[in-house]
Amino acid sequence: MSGVSLQGLVKTYGDIQVVHGIDLEVQEKEFVVLVGPSGCGKSTTLRMIAGLEEISDGDLSIDGRFVNNVAPKDRDVAMVFQNYALYPHLNVAENIAFGLRIRRESKAVIDASIKEVGEILGLTPYLGRRPADLSGGQRQRVAMGRAIVRRPKVFLFDEPLSNLDAKLRTQMRAEIKRLHNRLGVTSIYVTHDQVEAMTLADRIVVMHDGRIEQTGTPMELFLNPVNTFVAGFLGSPPMNMINARIESGDNGPIARFGELSLALVDTPTMRDAIGTDITLGIRPEFVTVSTQADTHGTIPVDVELIETLGSEALIHATLQGEPFIIRAGTVGQMDVLNGISGFSVEPNLIRVFDAKTGMALPDQVMKQ
Amino acid sequence: MTAGTSKLISRQKPTRLARITQHLKREWQLYLMLLPTVIWLLVFLYKPMYGLQIAFKDYSVFRGVAGSPWIGFEHFHILFENDQFLRALKNTVIMSAYGLLFGFPIPILLALMFNEVLNQFFKKTAQTIVYLPHFISSVIIAGIVITSFSPSAGIVNTILGWFGVDSIYFLTKPEWFRPIFIGTGIWQEAGFQSIVYLAAIAGVSPTLYESAVVDGANRWQMMWKITIPSIMTTIIIMLIIRIGNILEISFEMIILLYQPATYETADVVNTFIYRQGLQGGQYDFAAAAGLFNAVVAFILVMTANTISKRYSRTSLW
Repeated sequence: MSGVSLQGLVKTYGDIQVVHGIDLEVQEKEFVVLVGPSGCGKSTTLRMIAGLEEISDGDLSIDGRFVNNVAPKDRDVAMVFQNYALYPHLNVAENIAFGLRIRRESKAVIDASIKEVGEILGLTPYLGRRPADLSGGQRQRVAMGRAIVRRPKVFLFDEPLSNLDAKLRTQMRAEIKRLHNRLGVTSIYVTHDQVEAMTLADRIVVMHDGRIEQTGTPMELFLNPVNTFVAGFLGSPPMNMINARIESGDNGPIARFGELSLALVDTPTMRDAIGTDITLGIRPEFVTVSTQADTHGTIPVDVELIETLGSEALIHATLQGEPFIIRAGTVGQMDVLNGISGFSVEPNLIRVFDAKTGMALPDQVMKQ
Repeated sequence: MTAGTSKLISRQKPTRLARITQHLKREWQLYLMLLPTVIWLLVFLYKPMYGLQIAFKDYSVFRGVAGSPWIGFEHFHILFENDQFLRALKNTVIMSAYGLLFGFPIPILLALMFNEVLNQFFKKTAQTIVYLPHFISSVIIAGIVITSFSPSAGIVNTILGWFGVDSIYFLTKPEWFRPIFIGTGIWQEAGFQSIVYLAAIAGVSPTLYESAVVDGANRWQMMWKITIPSIMTTIIIMLIIRIGNILEISFEMIILLYQPATYETADVVNTFIYRQGLQGGQYDFAAAAGLFNAVVAFILVMTANTISKRYSRTSLW
């Protein structure tokens, strides 16, 4: 089983601890994405797995073997770097074959591997070119070719698409996913881009300040973030946050903010939390826009700007002076969007967080 | 003129002169900073070229450069029939070849070795020690060499004495001059010259090494397969420069170390020019030798640059 196991993994530089005891089990063939803002420790964690950073404390196992003190070359991992790390003096074929040559594979094996990888990644016409003569996407493909040619147990990707433009990034994202489906190699992928995380991952690990905030499938994290950090980090645009207080309404608990209120799901937990200061989390996609603010259950907003993206639009509004973003479809809806004065939202689509701890109140499970 | 025509004219590209003037107005501070160097080049390198014509003249100090009569290539004929010049030329080529063979790779090796040293204190101390001789005057270096190789109190002969070897008067023996001269040059300059290569090594992306580590390369393989190929451009450029200066043997050091007993192996074109021109007063003859030197250097650097451009895609221009 080519899984990766991290138990209490710690990294310190002098007196400064940057990774605070990470526990994570990556299953065989799984595609796990470590995501988080800059400085959250995701790259450091990946580099510890690769063996490029010494592990200060904790245990690391790859394929069931304890590898804390094993040299990177003996961990049977391959890594793709952000800046491709291609050798400028070698051509594509030589770059791909570098690891095999270092391991003194026979010429026949090397030639066959170059041919195979060239075909898989569509690099056959470029095998004789040097990296300087390739486009960004082609370079990234060569970097991946160099990783897959060794048939490692684990692929490690360190923000491999960050240097590409938006269009190419989308293309390469799909290629990476296809490659993973085809090769089925356990992969750990680091990115700060939540779109990459959502689209690529079997499982996402959200990191913040050297700790794991939440682990789960993309939809689990999107629908049921455990805290305001995860809620704000995943999703584009991020979840809208409104400070409120739970009160008792005519038909169950409501969230009161100023003169306004929103109905909440009527659960024992929510009833127990009456009187608690909360943060309401409302995804921009989960609201229904309205042109009549005075309708019952409609929350009035002041629209400042509408960004039309084609099939959908982002409505930048303010709610009691705070920014509030709505994402809505545009097809046949432009008249409605131009006349927006408020929104409504189903109680079961609202995420409620404790205002003090930032943690989601228990027993809220949004189904996929 | 119609309105349409006037619009057409206003869209015309400004003249070259107008563009240059505009550029100078915008970037005048940069050109001001460049000015001292340009003046220096004109005064000390370009103006003296006027005097080169005396290589083709029967020059007399009293008649001046312009007033001296032309004699064509006569000085060059004499030069190539002069045994001393031919000997100096041969010595120059031999010593330059030795210098290139031994002196050129050593700074590269030093830089590679410094790059592998992990202990920063040791690395900095060692670097300081090898850089130091560069800052010592040639006269002092020559003094150290003369003292070290002295037959009576020199450290070399003292050590040889411990093994029962009789004292050797190294600096009077022609066969020892070249090794001592080349060795001294390496000791004095190798450390300082290694700075260029260290800077080139510092420019190599660390991820290339990290990628190689993950691929399974050891330090030796990384040095051969990453560091050296990555600094190859710098090595080639330094080689071209070195080849261009191949006939520019360290003139002061030879003057300080050689003596008539070692002329056989120590006399080079520059010392020959010095003796003929300044000490013998044959300025026109010395100018011919100097011009020959410069032309050969020019051809060498052009050739090296062309070869490098063709085979390694690296060139000075």
